[in-house]
Amino acid sequence: MTRATIELGDVTPHNLQQLKRLNQVVFPVSYNDKFYKDILEAGELAKLAYYNDIVVGAVCCRIDILDGSRRLYIMTLGCLAPYRKRGIGAKMLEHVLNFVEKDGDFHSIFLHVQVNNQSAIDFYKKFGFEIVETKEQYYKRIEPADAHVLMKLLRPQRSLSEPEK
Amino acid sequence: MPSSQPLPPKENALFKRILKSYEQKQYKNGLKFAKQILSNPKFAEHGETLSMKGLTLNCMGRKEEAYEHVRRGLRNDLMSHVCWHVYGLLQRSDKKYDEAIKCYRNALKWDKDNVQILRDLSLLQIQMRDLEGYRDTRYSLLRLRPGQRASWIGFAMAYHLLHDYDNALQVLDDFRKTLTKSSYDYEQSELLLYMHQVMFEGGLYQKSLSHLQQFEDQICDKLSLMEARAQLYLKLDRQKDAEEEYRKLLKRNPDNRQYYFGLEEARGLTNEDIKLQMYAELRESYPRAILARRIPLSYASGEKFRSLVDQYLRHALHKGAPPLFVDLRSLYAQPGKAAIIEELLLGYIASLIKCERFDEKDVKDGPAEPASAILWTYYYLAQHYDFHKDSAKALHYINLAIDHTPTLIELYVTKGRLFKHAGNPIEAYRCLDEAQSLDTADRYINSKCAKYMLRANLIQEAEMTCSKFTREGVSAMENLNEMQCMWFQTECAVAYQRMGKWGEALKKCHEVERHFVEIIEDQFDFHTYCMRKMTLRAYVGLLRLEDVLRSHPFYFSAARCAIEVYLHLHDHPLQDEPTKEELQEASLPPLELKKLRAQQRKAAKKAEQEKQEKLLQQQREQREREQREREQRDPHTDAPPVDDLQPQKLARVEDPLDQAIKFLQPLQEWGSNHIEVHLLAFEVYLRKGKPLLMLQSVKRALKVDPNHPQVHSCLIRLHRFLTNGDLLSENVSHPAVTSVLNSETQPLFSNHNDAEQLNKEFLEQNKNSLPHILQGAKMMCFLNPTREAEAVALVSRFSDAYQGVTVQTCSDILKAFQKGEFGEAGRQEIDDFKALCHQRMPHAVDFFSGQQVAPSANHNHTVEEVLTNHVSNLTVEDGTN
Repeated sequence: MTRATIELGDVTPHNLQQLKRLNQVVFPVSYNDKFYKDILEAGELAKLAYYNDIVVGAVCCRIDILDGSRRLYIMTLGCLAPYRKRGIGAKMLEHVLNFVEKDGDFHSIFLHVQVNNQSAIDFYKKFGFEIVETKEQYYKRIEPADAHVLMKLLRPQRSLSEPEK
Repeated sequence: MPSSQPLPPKENALFKRILKSYEQKQYKNGLKFAKQILSNPKFAEHGETLSMKGLTLNCMGRKEEAYEHVRRGLRNDLMSHVCWHVYGLLQRSDKKYDEAIKCYRNALKWDKDNVQILRDLSLLQIQMRDLEGYRDTRYSLLRLRPGQRASWIGFAMAYHLLHDYDNALQVLDDFRKTLTKSSYDYEQSELLLYMHQVMFEGGLYQKSLSHLQQFEDQICDKLSLMEARAQLYLKLDRQKDAEEEYRKLLKRNPDNRQYYFGLEEARGLTNEDIKLQMYAELRESYPRAILARRIPLSYASGEKFRSLVDQYLRHALHKGAPPLFVDLRSLYAQPGKAAIIEELLLGYIASLIKCERFDEKDVKDGPAEPASAILWTYYYLAQHYDFHKDSAKALHYINLAIDHTPTLIELYVTKGRLFKHAGNPIEAYRCLDEAQSLDTADRYINSKCAKYMLRANLIQEAEMTCSKFTREGVSAMENLNEMQCMWFQTECAVAYQRMGKWGEALKKCHEVERHFVEIIEDQFDFHTYCMRKMTLRAYVGLLRLEDVLRSHPFYFSAARCAIEVYLHLHDHPLQDEPTKEELQEASLPPLELKKLRAQQRKAAKKAEQEKQEKLLQQQREQREREQREREQRDPHTDAPPVDDLQPQKLARVEDPLDQAIKFLQPLQEWGSNHIEVHLLAFEVYLRKGKPLLMLQSVKRALKVDPNHPQVHSCLIRLHRFLTNGDLLSENVSHPAVTSVLNSETQPLFSNHNDAEQLNKEFLEQNKNSLPHILQGAKMMCFLNPTREAEAVALVSRFSDAYQGVTVQTCSDILKAFQKGEFGEAGRQEIDDFKALCHQRMPHAVDFFSGQQVAPSANHNHTVEEVLTNHVSNLTVEDGTN
């Protein structure tokens, strides 16, 4: 028997609704129209994950600039419950990691995780992320409201203001 | 033969220039030259010049003047082939083909060897299927132009179409001998294969086989060659050779069903076990061929079936094959198979939940199934239960699937279909709208969604949905008509019919009818094209398709709708004033009327705005189009301007029954295996008062399905018609007719003189089938209105033991109550009956009571609104009763 295939695909105006549908069930937070409008412009930073040709996951990132250095912020990375632990999250995260590596000009990748979401924390730790901060009352309307900030430093020695020799 | 009015050289030269201008489409110049001749008083009445002037005018769209000139020309020179030819061309451009043929024949009287006229005549003859005339004309052409390929082919084909195979082959063979051999000549290859086709159809199998062998290396289409050879071996009882040929074909393409069946036949397999053995071997040879696994499922039974279908299902569910249910549905007709499939699937679910395998025993052997396996299993089960009309279970499984994977579009489509089958078109369309929103680039889903919208009577919304894929700048409705999008137009017609907008419905039906006319017209281009390109097999295929074109299901559904509407219009003719909308409104309660008015105002405002914009746009386009058309108008294919179909007019025809018959006749000819055709025919002829045709319809219907409930209703009404002396004496005056009717109907009525007795027997014989009881009960009221209460009791006290308790039947009963077919007793029963049905069929909107409205906060259209639509439709019928 063949193994399941996992592939990534672009987000387009035609399939945007699938992304919304997915985020609705995967995340307790609901995202506004602006979020989805920006996604359409995000290119490689927003991807749908297909498992045997079905949309089961998605990753959406944006580029934040802080202290003059570019950081990749993972806004959402999620997968439908029945399809977890099958390498789909890894495939999406690897895509993001490849992207920043290829670009070569990112200081770090970071994201927020609800403090009780242990499986997510473990997942990111496997890829070299560390908890660097905990923000209290980060989320509105969901419990627990606190969030860890997970970060993976890409080039700790360098920032934009301090070019490499 | 020269004209009877010869022109002197100078004028003659001018006349030649008219001809040239016509050929080069320089019509203005043509008119100028004609004027130069005609302005000379000596030639003012010169026939041929007048004719040519007329023909030129015709090309410029000045039809009336054209006819006037051409007729005058002809009158002045009745012995001129030119005048007759021109008159023929004019008739042809107006699609009066029979007239045109007569003109050409007259022209040929004066110039019997005129090749141009002969050619034009032959085209009309083949178009009109005057095959004998065609053969004669083609013979003349061959005689006159033996050097042209088309002359030979046309003549041979005339024989072929007349089933004169020997002569056809003789001509083809003579022609073939004149050809020179070249290395790769596809046209010649087609000719050789066409010769095979003629031989095959003529039953000359041995000859055909030798023909194929002789020219094997010149035939380029190797696949056709192999298929032809395999078929011939079968016909000639050369089983071994046939088997070998089919094996070769299977090797080329193991996904062609015909090859498998050919192989079975070649091996003379009738025993199922041996067939299964053969397929087992084929599965080894072609492990990827689906058919080698699918076909045996139809042959196997019992445990063997279980094991085969088990493998088949697992394979498909593992991969994720959306059409799996559709693929297997045909097996459900075979007893016991559906139960086995159900059992297997329920087993998979239990096991997949427990251990991600289709069977718990597999845990040690192999890897886990993909996470999508259980999803596809749920999906299948939903369709499986839907097939068995178990909407509760079906919904349960489709909801499980949606909870599992809310991003899979197919699930929403299926959920919509479940609701449709459960009688809720509104919820159904919402599901499809959801499906459509998930992938707006998928035209299939888009079209499905539009179709479901139409089923919910939301015509504007459907048009909007379709407009995502139609050409920009043109209204979607117009574009869909232009593109001959017949499913859409038919669904529109039926939606209008449901809403009681009879004229609009008819407009759509006529549009579809026009498409069929157009498709037949379009043949014209192929008569010359195919002959020239030597695509003879395809050409013969086209001619045969056009011969039975109206047997197409699209025609059937549009015609059925048109006939039903015309019947309604006959029974309830529309008044000139007030309009139907006003009638409809008059019967609405004040609150709803207010709502309706508000809606109308809103709609009118919006429509007005759109109309303005559209109008401007259209005017612009129209001008451009006309300009273009005028420039490149081709006199031969130019259609006369079609009169617009106006709903208002269509709904107020004077002869609705005759209009219905126009739609009916093709159905009777091509769709006689549909019982509905004969049932509709009966309704039409009953109203026409034509007992012999009524009898014919009943007999034909009985032939299709002797136990169809509605046939009984026809029988009773025929009985009533024949025993009602007044009616009969009016329509049947001839004693021979009476005697035929008597002798033919006696056996149909089982020698009953009393219709009530006949009805009673029918009810007794079908006491457990609701559709039959409905017809019996209707007839009970029809024959004896004092028994209405009894009849109502018959149809409204059904039990679980009854067959045919479907949404459709119950809704038919409800409509009969509402229409007053069961009198006051029926009207009083409405609420109780609705409640009873609602309990059994909770999703069907027809049985919702006023307050029951499904949750629908986020949708543009509430159930209530649409319900109002449904209900108001019914009130219209009531009002006109």
